[in-house]
Amino acid sequence: MPVRMVESPAPSNSSGANYGQTCLQPCSLLSVGQAFSGTQNVSSPQKDEAWRVNVRIQGCDLDHGYLCGTMEALNVPMADTPVVTFWEGEIVDTKNHTFFTNKWKATSEVDIEHWTKFPSFSPLLSQVEVDGGKSLDLSNYQYIFMRWKEQYFVNVGADCGLTIAGFYYVCFSCVDGSINGYYYDPNSSPFQKLELKTTNEGRSGFSFSSYELQ
Amino acid sequence: MPGSASTTHRPEGLIERLRSAAADGGEAKLKVLRELKNQIIGNRTKKLSYIKLGAVPSVVSILSSASSSVDCLLIQCAATIGSFACGVDAGVKAVLDAGAFPHLINLLSHSNEKVVDAGARALKMIYQSKAAPKYDFFQHKNIEFLISLLDKNNENVTGLGASIITHSCETNNEQKILADAGVLKKLINLLQGTTSQRESSLESFATIIKQNPEVITKFVGPENSTTFGSLLELTKDRYPRTRLLACICLTLIKNATSSSSSYLQSVGIRTKLILVLLELVDDFGQVGDEALFTLSSFIEHEEDLQKLAFEANTVDKLCHQMQKESLQAKRLEGIFTTLGNLCSNLEPCRSIVLQSPKALIIITDALTHTTIDVRVAACICLKNVSRSVKYLSAGHFMTDAVIMPVIQLLYDASTSVQVAALCTLVELSKSMDSTVRLNAVWALRNLMFLVDSRCKEEIFMDLKLFPLTRLISDSNACVQEQALGLVCNLVNGPVDSIMYLFTEGLLLNTVGRELRRASKPQVLVQAMYVMCNVASGKEFEKEAVMQQLVNEDDNNQSIIVTLLQSDVASLRTAVVWTVVNLTIPTGAGALARVVKLRNAGVVSQLKNMVNDPCLDVKLRVRTALGQSMTFGDFST
Repeated sequence: MPVRMVESPAPSNSSGANYGQTCLQPCSLLSVGQAFSGTQNVSSPQKDEAWRVNVRIQGCDLDHGYLCGTMEALNVPMADTPVVTFWEGEIVDTKNHTFFTNKWKATSEVDIEHWTKFPSFSPLLSQVEVDGGKSLDLSNYQYIFMRWKEQYFVNVGADCGLTIAGFYYVCFSCVDGSINGYYYDPNSSPFQKLELKTTNEGRSGFSFSSYELQ
Repeated sequence: MPGSASTTHRPEGLIERLRSAAADGGEAKLKVLRELKNQIIGNRTKKLSYIKLGAVPSVVSILSSASSSVDCLLIQCAATIGSFACGVDAGVKAVLDAGAFPHLINLLSHSNEKVVDAGARALKMIYQSKAAPKYDFFQHKNIEFLISLLDKNNENVTGLGASIITHSCETNNEQKILADAGVLKKLINLLQGTTSQRESSLESFATIIKQNPEVITKFVGPENSTTFGSLLELTKDRYPRTRLLACICLTLIKNATSSSSSYLQSVGIRTKLILVLLELVDDFGQVGDEALFTLSSFIEHEEDLQKLAFEANTVDKLCHQMQKESLQAKRLEGIFTTLGNLCSNLEPCRSIVLQSPKALIIITDALTHTTIDVRVAACICLKNVSRSVKYLSAGHFMTDAVIMPVIQLLYDASTSVQVAALCTLVELSKSMDSTVRLNAVWALRNLMFLVDSRCKEEIFMDLKLFPLTRLISDSNACVQEQALGLVCNLVNGPVDSIMYLFTEGLLLNTVGRELRRASKPQVLVQAMYVMCNVASGKEFEKEAVMQQLVNEDDNNQSIIVTLLQSDVASLRTAVVWTVVNLTIPTGAGALARVVKLRNAGVVSQLKNMVNDPCLDVKLRVRTALGQSMTFGDFST
């Protein structure tokens, strides 16, 4: 007998002063070892261009709203080899981090301008405009919002002619593991779009790995 | 012209005179006792030499035979005995063996205050040694006697009382007896006394409250505001040792009571305490060493406190201090222990250590220090510093300058060195000691995380040498968990790596057996992820998983259904992922598997879970059901 599935509710407003204290639930598709691949559109008015991109999650600490990993850009024109960077992510869990960046040259207007590009953000917009989303409970929401900031080049020198000055606004779908992002750097082309899907590395299904620090 | 030394000035001569004085008596006793005392005072070598020559029994014999009216003789005897006992365990033993103890106790009830003082001082010396006899607090009269000591208006007598407590109070019952008898209150009163009284009282106070929440709740804390206030006040005392002891007491109070209690919750007081301890760390003697261990214990297990310590520049200070030359072992141990605690949670702390020019090299060098405790502390410190995924990913632990003995071996560019290190771990994983086994398997599991195919093969070649199956079925569930995590990582990555499980033959059976047998959820989670990873492979691999999980001839409930009903969300997640992999519609055998799973009750169980409280489970259940239904709905 088929049963009706209850749609996930829109994120609720937690009451009173005790807001936003719940950590996000773990999502197995966003756990350490998971790999994603796709493209980053780096088109400029002069030229249409997209780089192939692979991402791997290397560390995850939901209690502190922290995620980190590596990003590999494959067909970068000025580089002989794929360029690998290490990034650290702030998970918008309203406990450790809100939708407002408050750094990296991003004003709240820039934040909202980028977040609103994700359709899944629209139910949150009005509250975020009020308090950055501090009073939202996102623990049951099917999307996880993050900021990814590249920290250093792993396999090339900092003098490689590439920049990692900006950061990504990221929206992760817990349903299928797809990732959308927009790169923000006041000195680069605006709204470079990052689109990634979970990869199964030639498998017929999903595979998981893990490590544990003592 | 030098003449021959008179025998009377050599130890043997003095001993001769001491013996005859003990026998004959008279004025000679006093003279020879004074001479002996002056010889041994502050001179460990001479003390040992006179002890060897048998001086102590003669002194005790003079004391035992002295008339209570010859006060100056009693005082000299007690002072000499005290001097023998001071700082030399062999002296304490000789004094006790010669039967001095009851005679010294008798002196405490003498009418002359100076005699009492000398007796108390000698007894205090005895109680400051580990060799002293244990005082029996369970005897009521002993408690009465102890309280009478604490009530005396004499610094050495009250000091003796405090020393007895510090030396003999060890169990929670003893702590309770003393607290109930009102000893804590007496000790608090003594805090108003001289510096020496204050310090010995604080030490005994710490002994009575140590790890005893019951005593603390009843007698100390904010409700007893005087006690708490006095302790806080003493953290500002002009004497460093007093400040340290007050901090030790406050740390014990905080650590023994749960974090929800109202003890030491104020950020202001917490910060203040950290600053006091940090200042004491500048003392390069015993006070500074103890301050480090107190600080470490104060911040242990509490990230908020670690943050406060970090903000007070503790990490910078310790990184700077460890670079000083010729530090004592105790100091190094304290520095590494405290840094290890700070780096257990906080990435900014790790960053400072890693960016400090020499810190990592000093910690690494200490791994081969001659003192065991330093090696252990350095190892833990290094482990916590290397928790930084950021720096691990940057290869900071793999450069020549900061290579660590252990990590160096595991990450060495040379295969033979890597294998040698692995062999060490593999050897350790066979250890009879389950903790050693656990840590070895744990390291191997982490090492197997995301390694490339070439490394994986090398590791596996090595692993094959030892019975991985035995580790999966280990008697210690934690070892099982790590061993299964290792297998999980082994069969992750390129799809060909699943073959490792099949070349080893029995491995999949062993994992399947543990799924039916184990009870610890973490073991079941790891075992199920092994199945999940294998089920993401080729058709025959999916079929092998089906054979493990669904037995059509068995009338019992399928293990999949049982585990889907678990209360542990991470276990339900692992099971549903396995079902997702088994029901991916593109496979040739997918329909047959869906039918089998439906017959085993899995599909109807999944239907019960579409509103699972765990979002991750709920979403995977939808995927699994969606895939099952592509072959039609079997519910009718």
